[in-house]
Amino acid sequence: MIKDITIGQYFPGNSVLHRLDPRTKILLTVAYIVLLFITKRLIGLAVAGLFMLMVVLLSRISLKTVLKSIKPLLFIILFTAVLQMIYGGGEPLFPTVSWLSWLSWKGVRNAIFMAVRIVLLVVGTSFMTYTTSPIMLTNALESLMNPLKYIKVPVHEFAMMMTIALRFIPTLVDETDKIMNAQKARGADFETGNIFRRAKALIPILVPLLISAFRRAEELADAMECRCYHGGKGRTKYRIYHFALRDLWAALIVAAMFAVIIIINIGII
Amino acid sequence: MIIETKNLTHKYSPGTPFEKVALEDINLQIAEGDYVGIIGHTGSGKSTLISHLNAILQPTTGQILVDGVDLWNCSKAERIATRFKVGLVFQYPEYQLFEETVYKDIAFGPKNMGLPEEEIDRRVRESLAFVGMKEECLERSPFDLSGGQKRRIAIAGVMALEPKVLVLDEPAAGLDPKGRDEILARLKEYHAQTGSTVLLVSHSMEDIAKNANTAVVMEQGRLKMHAPVEEVFAHANELSGMGLDVPQITRVFFSLKEKGFDVRTDIYTIEGAKKEILSCLRKGVGRK
Repeated sequence: MIKDITIGQYFPGNSVLHRLDPRTKILLTVAYIVLLFITKRLIGLAVAGLFMLMVVLLSRISLKTVLKSIKPLLFIILFTAVLQMIYGGGEPLFPTVSWLSWLSWKGVRNAIFMAVRIVLLVVGTSFMTYTTSPIMLTNALESLMNPLKYIKVPVHEFAMMMTIALRFIPTLVDETDKIMNAQKARGADFETGNIFRRAKALIPILVPLLISAFRRAEELADAMECRCYHGGKGRTKYRIYHFALRDLWAALIVAAMFAVIIIINIGII
Repeated sequence: MIIETKNLTHKYSPGTPFEKVALEDINLQIAEGDYVGIIGHTGSGKSTLISHLNAILQPTTGQILVDGVDLWNCSKAERIATRFKVGLVFQYPEYQLFEETVYKDIAFGPKNMGLPEEEIDRRVRESLAFVGMKEECLERSPFDLSGGQKRRIAIAGVMALEPKVLVLDEPAAGLDPKGRDEILARLKEYHAQTGSTVLLVSHSMEDIAKNANTAVVMEQGRLKMHAPVEEVFAHANELSGMGLDVPQITRVFFSLKEKGFDVRTDIYTIEGAKKEILSCLRKGVGRK
């Protein structure tokens, strides 16, 4: 159940997307998010969607996995869409049917627009993590945030914290599974009862989980100290990233898409 | 038969590239009141097998019958009820402790069963005695105890369910030899006193040899042997082939036999060894 969550997961591979400089990927993902938010028309979103489809195909990650990543957010997407539909305003779509008077073309359009935007947002950001290993991701973040060092931001420490956090997500998921099974074996029931009972039923999971997280943290700190870790000062990198030609291409494609969407927004097409 | 599996097969992540067959066509019958040792190398499917016994995992195909109830062909309530019939102690059970006091933690299971207060109290004290802990610790926090003590409290938490079958996955893992012997001795006593069925999962042949009556040998998700302990150890060569350690004492007798002494090779306890050597000497059988 918990293992179905694919957000933040990494699928090893050797596609163009995997080989792209992680810094490029982060910057372009941010650009893509901005782009999704400045688009005003459905056709603009269609362009963004087409781009995403290209990315999916290039990455050689199956479409099924991609759809799976949206599944946990299905409720939020539907919820937003329904709200948009109800509070859309505008002319009723069926003026003759009284109980459908709230349904307007504008509402439907808005609902589709919002749903597609959220889906693209999720898929777009998931693709960054799908094709970039957590280590690469944090290294890239560290390198991108490097200028902040001059205003005394502990960039390296943040990056290290993120690496550790990401590294331990699967471990904690495993652990949660194990503890859940152990408590189930003692007759704990997580599935029935009202919301308060269910929340209370989580205590037997959360307490052991928290304790083991602290234990792990302590062990990890000891292990790091034993290997002479003392923060970022004077630390060198095993892998140094260089922008390549493909990064330029990727940036150009996204820039072109930006241009197209701005043109669409202005209303020339 | 208290537990019966029929053509039990389990695949992890079926239909994905990560598909892995963890159990293949297991037909196992556990007699009531038996003390069964389940032996196998890491990854042989021992833990997967026992997780099926109280319906935590659902088999991909096949059936599991506990006390005659088909676990996946019955009402949900019946399925939940088997959780109390088959008490499962997972590996490193001390990590599941969560209550403020030892008493409350042991009482967690019986409470979930909906038992009256006095009955819970009786069970808590009784299971505490079974694992050899003193009543003083009942009001202490389980997190103040030592590792071995925590483990015992966790085992007591499952014993308090008074299950017909107690299943333990490597209950002695990570303990020092003394703690190890202590826990296993307690389990043996529990088995003798309550007459309930005990399943002990271990990769240590010595532990199985010392405690169990029947042994089940698993290899790569398959059931290789299921026979009385002495019979299983008589196949020491096969066991070594599976990467399992034969008890030291059995190896001694195999070597003796190789050297030409006329001794039995299904010896797996010190007691048995003593007897065999004495009878050998009495018969005056030397080298042929």
